[in-house]
Amino acid sequence: MRETYGRLLPEMRLGDLAGKLIVIEGTDGAGRSTQIDLLKPWLEELGHAVVDTGMTRSPLAGEGIRRAKEGNNLGRVTQALFYATDFVDRLENEIVPALRAGFIVLTDRYIYSLMARAIVRGMDPRWIRSIYSVALKPDAVFYLRLGIDQLLPRVVFSRGFDYWESGMDLYPGHDTFDSFCSYQSALLTEFDRLSAEFNFQMVDAATDARTVCAHLQQNILQLLERDARKNFMSRLYNDSTTAPQPALQEKTQERERAAKPADTALFAVASPVAAPSTNGNGNGNGHHHAAHPGQ
Amino acid sequence: MEIGSGVRIGPFEVFAPLQPAVSIVRHYGEHHFPGRLIVVEGIDGSGKSTQLSLLHKWLESKGYGVVFSEWNSSPLVKDTTKHGKKKKLLTPATFSLIHSTDFADRTERSILPLLKAGAVVLCDRYVYTAFARDVARGMDRDWVRELYGFAVKPAIAFYFRVPLETAIHRLLDGRDGFKFYEAGMDLNLADDSVESFRLFQGRILSEYEKMIPEFGLTVVDATLPIEIQQMQVRQIVKAHLDKAKELRVQA
Repeated sequence: MRETYGRLLPEMRLGDLAGKLIVIEGTDGAGRSTQIDLLKPWLEELGHAVVDTGMTRSPLAGEGIRRAKEGNNLGRVTQALFYATDFVDRLENEIVPALRAGFIVLTDRYIYSLMARAIVRGMDPRWIRSIYSVALKPDAVFYLRLGIDQLLPRVVFSRGFDYWESGMDLYPGHDTFDSFCSYQSALLTEFDRLSAEFNFQMVDAATDARTVCAHLQQNILQLLERDARKNFMSRLYNDSTTAPQPALQEKTQERERAAKPADTALFAVASPVAAPSTNGNGNGNGHHHAAHPGQ
Repeated sequence: MEIGSGVRIGPFEVFAPLQPAVSIVRHYGEHHFPGRLIVVEGIDGSGKSTQLSLLHKWLESKGYGVVFSEWNSSPLVKDTTKHGKKKKLLTPATFSLIHSTDFADRTERSILPLLKAGAVVLCDRYVYTAFARDVARGMDRDWVRELYGFAVKPAIAFYFRVPLETAIHRLLDGRDGFKFYEAGMDLNLADDSVESFRLFQGRILSEYEKMIPEFGLTVVDATLPIEIQQMQVRQIVKAHLDKAKELRVQA
């Protein structure tokens, strides 16, 4: 069953969140959104329904945060809590319903970026962890890691330095370049610390986008196959109570085509078990006969 | 005092267990600022705002530098709260978070600097309002308290205690119903706004009662005549401010 980081929001049921929550984390300019743009159509092609979400996209607080960041008077605690409001709005109204409906949720950043930003700005790490204790534990966190040396050219020669990405609110005495380096280095240090604590899967973001994507695809496939295998095992033991689900079966077959040959054998067994009423008899599966003594 | 040992010391010397060294929030609770923070609490219709406004005038006449701060009034955040209420986007969790954001902005930009500058800061509603309302909405008691871990501990927190029916009678005198969130209509307690208000505010009252010993709230009997309550309030405030004579800005 899905878990949170310790606390449960009112009316948050965790029992039926069948979808997958996949987090793409990384510092500014690591190529997170590029990867999500590549992963989404790929997953959809495999037959998965996908929702993608990211910071400040909530109908409640997104606009308010953008407005607040235009000025010069957004305090650090206020900023941390405004983002928490945005996050929880999306968690309750977007992420959880999508997971309940069996979607794959791809999220551009998660609580880790928000924690890193707050901690770098001097917030008590325990305070910010307590706030995000209501967040769901994801199925995977891919951390696109980019050193400051590789990050600099990407930013300088594309969009230039941004006030908040440079942490100008933190290092106002420096010019944008100096404060960008100080701020992003501090963030990297914090990310690396969080990486160990929250089990990030580190991905070297310095290589080209296609290579990074292939790496992510491979890991996501493994995650989905593990899930399919678990489904199969639970069906094996509970198949008398489980009705066949055509939609899921289709997905499994799609996945089968994309999977490595070694795994295909498993799915060949999985398919008849998933539909016991039509194929359950005479397939030589001992467990199966035991489960249906009447057949 | 062992701030940062992770153990909660006393009833809220600091509002949450906070860590030494790295934290800018750590100083908030245990302040030794020259200013004084005085807050009033109570359900709608308890008469707390009337009392605070009378106290305000009196303190000014005595020469104190007084500043007033109202719940839910941050220029940066209140539009978002309004938007959320109007479109009914708020859940118990986001209701709690957006109000804490508003409070954070007022703390960072107004309450804290003013206390450092030596003002008497008067707050109509404070963190206890959030503790009462959010817990009445089903939020985790400890989570909400930790959320407000950055808050400054008030010098005096008055709680205007009033029976539910008295408050409803006072409120309904001027109008014929309650607003959606004010009546806790988001909780589906009742179809009728007055009935929902009654049930919701009942929960809030019981949270306030629990907070009296937890935070050492100063209870005022809000059924007494206005003048009597104000006399009591002034007496308590006077006793406190006499120890801080340097606060006066005029002779």
